[in-house]
This record gives sequence, C-alpha cells and structure tokens, in this order.
Amino acid sequence: MSVLKVENLHVAVGGEEILKGVDLTLSTQETHALMGPNGNGKSTLLAAIMGHPRYEVTEGSITLDGEDVLAMSVDERSRKGLFLGMQNPQEIPGVTNSDFLRAAMNARREQPLNLFRFIKALEGAIDDLGMDENLAHRYLNEGFSGGEKKRNEILQMKLLQPKFALLDEIDSGLDVDALGVVSNVINDMRQGDMGLLLVSHYERLYKLVPPTHVHVLVDGRIVAEGGMELINKINAEGYEWVKELGVDIREKEEKQGIMLGVCGNKVTQ
Amino acid sequence: MADYVISYPHYLVLENGHIKDACFNELISYKDQTLTIKHQEPVQLHVVILVDDAEFSLNYNIEALAQVDVIETRILGGKAILKRHMTIGDGAIVNIFHENLSVSKETLVFDDQGTIARDAQVQFGYAELSDHSEEANFHYDLIGENADVRLRMAALAKESEKKNYTIEIKHLAPNTTGIMDNYGVVKNRGSMTIDGIGTITKGQHGSASHQTNKIIIFDPECYASANPYLFIDDFDVKASHAAGVGKMDEEHLYYLESRGLSKTQSMQLITYGYLKPVVEVVENKMLRERFETILAKVGGTNV
Repeated sequence: MSVLKVENLHVAVGGEEILKGVDLTLSTQETHALMGPNGNGKSTLLAAIMGHPRYEVTEGSITLDGEDVLAMSVDERSRKGLFLGMQNPQEIPGVTNSDFLRAAMNARREQPLNLFRFIKALEGAIDDLGMDENLAHRYLNEGFSGGEKKRNEILQMKLLQPKFALLDEIDSGLDVDALGVVSNVINDMRQGDMGLLLVSHYERLYKLVPPTHVHVLVDGRIVAEGGMELINKINAEGYEWVKELGVDIREKEEKQGIMLGVCGNKVTQ
Repeated sequence: MADYVISYPHYLVLENGHIKDACFNELISYKDQTLTIKHQEPVQLHVVILVDDAEFSLNYNIEALAQVDVIETRILGGKAILKRHMTIGDGAIVNIFHENLSVSKETLVFDDQGTIARDAQVQFGYAELSDHSEEANFHYDLIGENADVRLRMAALAKESEKKNYTIEIKHLAPNTTGIMDNYGVVKNRGSMTIDGIGTITKGQHGSASHQTNKIIIFDPECYASANPYLFIDDFDVKASHAAGVGKMDEEHLYYLESRGLSKTQSMQLITYGYLKPVVEVVENKMLRERFETILAKVGGTNV
C-alpha cells in the first residue's frame, strides 16, 4: 500500500494565494472525491501535486510514501507513480500518439518495452476504450474532440499504471455511453493497487465510480469531509450551506470582454 | 564531402556538372544540364548533386501528365552556388524532396525557380538541416489554371550558422493554390530569417495563398525572424498567414513531462514533431531513416 500525503499546502499562482492550507491523505485502494465551486482551488491542488511550473508552493508539504514530492521534477513525480488526467489536455502537432506513449512507458522501465508487446498493450487499451483504431498514428490530441481527449487521458492512465491517479473533470465532454466505458476502465484499475482523486461537479460520475471519501474545497481550504451523503447534499442544495460554516465562497472573477475595433484596436466602452 | 546513399532504383549522380553515375530507363533523359521526364508511367528518381566550390545550373523538364517522385540530394562544399530550374507541364503530379547534406565553412547559395502549368499538382519538401550558412531563394510561379503547389520546409541553424530563406509562390493564373509551411529551429548562436511571400496578381480570381512560418529558438543568443508577405491584387481570393518566433510552448513540455518524459526527451519529441512531417512528401523508407538520424542534430540543448 502507498500513501500520498498533502499537509498544510499553500499554493500561489501569479502571486495570488489560491490554496490556504490543505490537508489530504490518500491511500491506494481508496477513491477520494474533491468537490467545490469553480475557482476555489480544486484544479490548483491537482496541478500543484503534479508540479505545474506556474503553481508555486509557498508552504506545506507533499509526500509519497514519505518521500518529498516537492523536491521532484514533474517527470520524476510521474515515474514515481503520480498521474494527472488533465482538464484540457494539450494538442501537440507532429508527435504521434504511439511515439509519445512508447516513450512514456519506456521512461518507467529499465529495459525498453519490445515493439510487439507495446502494440499489443496499445491495441488492447484502444479497444477497451472504444477509440479510433488509427489513434496510434494520429498526432497527440490534435483535432481530437473533447470526449476523445478525455478518453486519451484514460488510455494513458491505463498504459502507465500509476499508483495515484488524479482526474480533473474527466467526465466533461463525455456522453453517457462514453462515460460508462471510461468508468469501467477506471473501476478495473481500482481493483488493483491504485488510489484515485476525482474532481467532478457531477453525481453521475460518482454513481459510476463511488468514492470512499468526499472532500469539499472552498476558498483554498477543505471545509467539509464525509462520504456519498455529502455528494447527495451538494447535488440537492448546491454550496450555499457552506456559508453557515463561516466560509466565504470565492467567486470566480468575471473577465471583462474586450471589444475589438478596426484593425484589432482595443475599444474602450 | 558528405556521403550519399542511392535510394531509388533510378538515379543520376552529377558531380560539378558531369555525370558520375546513372541508371535510368527510357522515360528519363539527361542532356545539356537538362533532365527530362516523360509522361507514360509513374517514375521514381533519385538525383544527387555534388558541387564543390563552383557554380552549377540544372534544369528539370517534367512533361505534361508525368507522375514523378524525386529525391534530390544536394551536397555542396566550399563556396558553391546551385541554380535549379523546374518546368512542370500540364496535369503533372510531382513530389520532390530536397535533402540538403552540404557541409561548408562558406555561405552557400541556392536558387530554385520553377513554373507550374495547368492542373499540375506539386509538393515540395525542403530538409535544411545541413552544416553551413546559406542564402536560399525558392520561387515558384503558378502559370496555368488550377495549378496547385504545397511547399514545406524544415530548417535548422546551429552554432554560428546564418541561414536566410526567401520563399515565394506567385499566382499568375486563376484558380491556383499555393500553400507553404516553413518551420525552423535555431540553436546556440545560430541565425535564421524566413521571408514567405504569396503573390496573387490581378485577374487571378479563385486563387488561394496560405502560409505559416514558425521558428523555435532554443538559446538566448539565437537570432530569428519570420516574416510573411501577401501581395494580393485581386478581390476574389483566399489568403492567410501565420508567423511566430518563440520558445517552446511550456504547456506542451509540462504535458509530456507529466507522463514521465525528461525535459530533454520532451523537447526532442516536440522538435521532431515540428520538423518531421516534411519527410512525408515522398514515401521512401531509406530517406525517412536518414532524416531521423540527421534530426539528432537538433537534440541536445542547454535550456
């Protein structure tokens, strides 16, 4: 069993503090749901665990089986068994899925995987996720629909076999059938020794992949913890009730639209 | 001078203007610096041009309805100049890959010109990863209606190399299409300028001119400039351009690193992906393998 431990984590983005002391302990074989209104720090927590360069940890610690995760580079974190299924996976032109996946699989092996085994594993995963059989030769996420990108994240998770998978709104862009397919793959992997941290707004994902623990993150702190009953409450009532706990909900700043005039000159309204 | 490997059964090796070696059938002939390819059946040809400290001109005459794949390997040394003119006849289908393997301490000069006639479809690939400075001018005129040309270049300037490219597709007939995608990588103290020019003259309605010029810079002392020009003198046309010079996309790097690839590996994969599609102009396994080996030059970086 492995343990991923986040303690008193403070994270700033562009000088602004987003996480204000988060504590979270995940063990393999557990599934944690992370809920909360938009713009309150869920994706920031996941990105900070993975090591996105724009997210600055100002205080606190993250450890994986006692090892300091914050001292590791992004690729080391991945090789140690962390995986982040991203909300907006990047499109990378010219890099084929197969070149990329093979490099990623070999990055965590001493002996490179032989081509035959790689193709077999890839074809199996493509089949399980009901994906386009030409996927291997297509460029990484380029021209993929939203749902295809999400399935491609799960395909990577399946091939890389992480200890902990952090899935950021993996259900967005998936229709009901696709969500069923993806949930089956996630549930298969849960049978093994994997821990999951799911971020989603929707009960439908949590019904298919029932969490063992639920956390509510508001204004950079975890304000409530529990089980499925918390999801049901949020589903029925939203987040207004957290205010009774004396917590302010951080409103996502509405960005002012910019009007463009002739030749792209900015027009002030 | 660099070695070359013959990659098609039909080939012509020219050394300072003289035939060094050749093997071709009755569809291909070479006389007075002119290579003629006749229409009959699809043909594949490897042309190797060796020029050492001299000037050499070569003409291609590709007749109407010919279908031809050409690999043109260019190995120049010293202070050499290569002038190449290509006449492509009506309805010809031509894919030509230019593999530059030159090595020189001097500045080499490449001047490629061509005319493309009615209904001809032409793809040009330029692999410019060679070791020297250069002044290159690639200019193609679309002289017949429905002529269609696609040009893709992958270029690398490293150490103190200075590479300047002017690439022009000129529309001189209606309903013509010209698309160019020029990609560059600059390392160390290298310098690269790409001027992409799309010209549509008056009366060439229904024509389309599109171009992308992108250069990735690796090191602080690099110089790079990507300039798109569109000269349009007709109303009923489509035209677009995109140009950019910059460092590698941080989000792309992060994505690959988050899957366990080291920074160097990620940069290599992204750069390969950026330059590699140029080789798809012709289908040839040997060429592809050669190109991938040469791509390793892009590899190591201090960033």
